[in-house]
Amino acid sequence: MTTVGGRPAPAPTAAAPVDWVAALSMPGPEQERAIRELHGLLVYAARRQVHRMGGGPGRHGGAVADELANQAADEALVAILGKLHTFEGRSRFTTWAYKFAVLHAANAVRAAAWRGREIQLEGLELVADRSPEPGQYAEAAALADTVRGLLETELSPYQRRVVIALLVDEVPIDVLADRLGTNRNALYKTLHDARSKLRRRLDALGYLAAATGDLP
Amino acid sequence: MSPAPRRLRPEAVRRLLVDTDGWLSCDDCFAMVDEYVDRLVAGEPDPIPGMAGHFRGCPACAEEAATLAILAAENPHRP
Repeated sequence: MTTVGGRPAPAPTAAAPVDWVAALSMPGPEQERAIRELHGLLVYAARRQVHRMGGGPGRHGGAVADELANQAADEALVAILGKLHTFEGRSRFTTWAYKFAVLHAANAVRAAAWRGREIQLEGLELVADRSPEPGQYAEAAALADTVRGLLETELSPYQRRVVIALLVDEVPIDVLADRLGTNRNALYKTLHDARSKLRRRLDALGYLAAATGDLP
Repeated sequence: MSPAPRRLRPEAVRRLLVDTDGWLSCDDCFAMVDEYVDRLVAGEPDPIPGMAGHFRGCPACAEEAATLAILAAENPHRP
């Protein structure tokens, strides 16, 4: 049996509706039962995400992990009830609902892990790492040097700041979005544009294999 | 005092140069990930073009999709 933090995955019960949208839409006892059933599933999904991200006792104590998961499930339930009319049936309802719990739980774990940590967004000097894998020294060092130079000359200061925070310092995208007052979508677009620009320049310089896009 | 220079390591270079062409935003990804995962669990190898490329470029979306796939696969008959 699958368990998360020692708890089994909830099996469908007699109270689980076949038509979730109908059950959740009409006020009454059936709606209350459906909301309770759905909340149980969302707590399980959120716990799954928290534990997969190392949010078990080693990193967040069991009580903290449970609190993160329960709060994520509560937030997901509110989001789901508010967006019920947008469910188009292109997936199972439970898969659609789980994604809200997973998103809220993942964001909560990332935020907790970075709470109180400084993110350096100024003074972004880079040096190319001179210790690549054996056998690839010359090529990898040349690529790292070139990329380092292109980061300075090809990217805007904002693109450079975002790229270094996300990919060099490995700040989670939602944490960075929160610090910069933006959102995941906008940051990913900035990153995508920066990657495209660098790949075009590297391709022109002969670093990317034309046929496969592989790195040397 | 300015901070010490960061080292641009090979793994950061690889992350930077991932090919994410076939643009999908994180919002697009979130809108379709449930359908993607259910079709994946049902056996389709690459159900929605562009999603795999997005996951290569966005570890946050990839991490969440992986959990969603586990959850969907655990009980494939739940409505």
